[in-house]
Amino acid sequence: MKKKKMVISQETMDLDFVRKVEILSDTSVRRCFQCGKCSAGCPMATFMEHPPNRVVRLLQLGQWRRILEGRSIWYCASCETCSTRCPNKVHLASIMDALRKLSWDAHGPSKESYVQLANKLFLQNIRTYGRQYEMRLAAVFNVKSGQFLKDLMLGPKLLAKGKLKMFHSKNKNLSEIEKIFSRIEKMRKKGEAL
Amino acid sequence: MSRIGVFICHCGENISRTVDVERVAAEVAKLPGVAFSTDYKYMCSDPGQNLLKKTIQDHKLTHVVVAACSPRMHEKTFRKAVEAGGLNPFLCEMANIREHCSWVHEDMEEATLKAIDIVGMMVERVKKNRVLPAITVPVTKRALVIGGGIAGIQAALDIADCGHEVILVEREPSIGGHMAQLSETFPTLDCSQCIMTPKMVDVANHPKITLHTFSEIELVEGYIGNFQVTIKKKARSVNEDKCTGCGVCMTKCPQKKIPNKFDQNIGLRTAIYVPFPQAVPNTPVIDRENCTWFKTGKCGVCQKVCGPGAVDFEQEDRLIVEAVGAIVVSTGFDLYSIAEKPKGSPIKGYGEFGHGKIPDVIDGMTFERLASASGPTGGKILRPSDGMEPKQIVFIQCIGSRAREKGISYCSKVCCMYTAKHTMLYHHKVHDGQAYVFFMDARTPGKSYDEFWRRSIEEEEAVYIRGMVSRLYQKGDKVVVMGSDIAVGVQVEIEADMVVLATAVMPQKGADLLAQKLGISYDKYHFYSEAHAKLRPVECATAGIYLAGACQGPKDIPETVSQASAAAAKVMTLFSKDKLEREPIVARVREVGCVGCFACKKVCAYGAVEEKEIRDRQGNLIKVVAYVNPGVCGGCGTCQATCPSKSVELDGYTDEQIVAMIEAL
Repeated sequence: MKKKKMVISQETMDLDFVRKVEILSDTSVRRCFQCGKCSAGCPMATFMEHPPNRVVRLLQLGQWRRILEGRSIWYCASCETCSTRCPNKVHLASIMDALRKLSWDAHGPSKESYVQLANKLFLQNIRTYGRQYEMRLAAVFNVKSGQFLKDLMLGPKLLAKGKLKMFHSKNKNLSEIEKIFSRIEKMRKKGEAL
Repeated sequence: MSRIGVFICHCGENISRTVDVERVAAEVAKLPGVAFSTDYKYMCSDPGQNLLKKTIQDHKLTHVVVAACSPRMHEKTFRKAVEAGGLNPFLCEMANIREHCSWVHEDMEEATLKAIDIVGMMVERVKKNRVLPAITVPVTKRALVIGGGIAGIQAALDIADCGHEVILVEREPSIGGHMAQLSETFPTLDCSQCIMTPKMVDVANHPKITLHTFSEIELVEGYIGNFQVTIKKKARSVNEDKCTGCGVCMTKCPQKKIPNKFDQNIGLRTAIYVPFPQAVPNTPVIDRENCTWFKTGKCGVCQKVCGPGAVDFEQEDRLIVEAVGAIVVSTGFDLYSIAEKPKGSPIKGYGEFGHGKIPDVIDGMTFERLASASGPTGGKILRPSDGMEPKQIVFIQCIGSRAREKGISYCSKVCCMYTAKHTMLYHHKVHDGQAYVFFMDARTPGKSYDEFWRRSIEEEEAVYIRGMVSRLYQKGDKVVVMGSDIAVGVQVEIEADMVVLATAVMPQKGADLLAQKLGISYDKYHFYSEAHAKLRPVECATAGIYLAGACQGPKDIPETVSQASAAAAKVMTLFSKDKLEREPIVARVREVGCVGCFACKKVCAYGAVEEKEIRDRQGNLIKVVAYVNPGVCGGCGTCQATCPSKSVELDGYTDEQIVAMIEAL
């Protein structure tokens, strides 16, 4: 990633966005004094271009675009090690959640991330079938992400072990599941949920 | 025949690790004159000292040698113990087998042999020791306090409240010092003036305090308990007794545009002035350099309008002499400036910040005056160049401090906290503005200090950027700040309206000259040195002189006040006795040999050598010889080394003793 010079002013520091993150995650990014404990314990930090502490630092400076352009938030495994160990009670896992949600709403400025796509397809499957239909998830993901042959050779093995089913089976209480989805959608519109 | 007791200390393992102490004790026991010899784990401990006392009585010892650490460390301890054991304390000597032997050697065999030699030398020396009676000197129970900032004020009030007279000398026309310049103080944000001015008034009204403002120390003579201090009262050109402080002279003075130093030169004053309206004493001073009368011989308006006729153009500098028993030095600090420094100066300026030529780059104290309700802007934060309210303000910490290249490697201690305070003051006054702080480390050790710093970030919305600024330059009406954020790892650029630099705390100008007058030591930055960094932090090595406040090193207000009270307590301890006992290590003149050349008088640093006439019974002058005043003598031995006829000897360090030591080798 190219390291662009940061020009800081009241205009370039988008603190409104940061406030949104703070409300959604119910935590304060200002509290962080950059001790680095979150990054020290993060199992995914080696895959991130911005380790967790830097994500918070960029938020403090209102530089959210730099975060959403990258893949850090999608690599977060939500293990909550950072939140558990933070000496300043910064709930970093919630911040990551909030950032993912805001990135989703903005239709993901992160083009690299297939995680977002995978999540979307995952939920679509649940909504349609009431449970996961892995075969369809894998097929649609490969098509939509343009990597048609990705993990193809794993298919037969998984089929043989019974981990992958050829045909889907529907949940009987599909209408109940639909209720959950529509309720969340309504709450989202009102801004009551992530 | 002497009966010498030798005590070898293990010093835990400090000595016994490299020196075979038992062997030393056994070897030393064979020396002629040694009646007793032993080793012990900690001689300085209570059981160790008791062993010493008991052995003196049991073995009827006449002299004692303690082989342990440096005499600087424990000579006093052991001499006291020897005295308690019934001997004259000066019949005890220490052999230094720690600093001079065990700490600097590794080989046990060689170190042990050296230790035996060292102890043997001291055994020979102690045989020649004489009984020295203690010298008592009278104590003048008056104190001098130099510097009228918060440290001086606190010390003066504490000593005076105890009932002793205090003379407070201040260089500026008013007391108050730097604290009077501050707007609000961390970490409680109480107004500096509100807590300072009542104390200033207390000083002025205290019956035991004599205040000399606009005065300097000219000469210091004497010694602990008996100092004679010459104070120069600079010509104020206003009679302090007549002036009522009405201030008419100041309103009528035609010279109105002189930069006021108290307002960091951003406010203006007249030629006859008080530095600030709450000044104590409220007596104006004429600035002779800028006064029309002194420049051209015309004008004299102030004299004409002065009702009580207090203005006196003829006034001259006056010297007064005061006798005091103790001196508290509280001369405070000065601030580093980024301006270009003269060639060859160890301290350098900041060329990358424009050497102070960018008008909107100011220092922390100037910001204090801008934020102060009694300041030149009435408490509005307006930038110096065009009087605009800055919307983007950048603070930069560690300017000069912790910058070895600039000549200062220490931390100025107060800047982290006052910068946090500045961001708060700014946020309170400019609601739509944004403060940025470039910092390396935030050092906030102190009660409620870290909470205060975090508050400036979490509640008062200051943006702290860890990383330093490499360059500042003017671009249009903005100052461009080029820095970096090392947490993100990118360069940062801010176009600021104003930049405030947290410049380093340095000693007052001329601190070294005053130290030379007082005979106290100072470090390479000219901060005054305490006698012991941990155990004697408010005393100078020179007896009777105490330190308070930032003249010793950067300090904040609570620390300064504590140290001032501590210094006052030390002065009161000194004043609690009518007579002072001092060490009888002084020089004596052998009058038979003295030829009266007075070479000793020339070299004496203490002024202790006097001329003494020797007359016969009929009163005929036989000869003039040197006489050393034991009350004044510092016991340095310079006269002994200088005397061409070997007629001066320093008690405790006589030639006889030194020769005995050499012969023992």
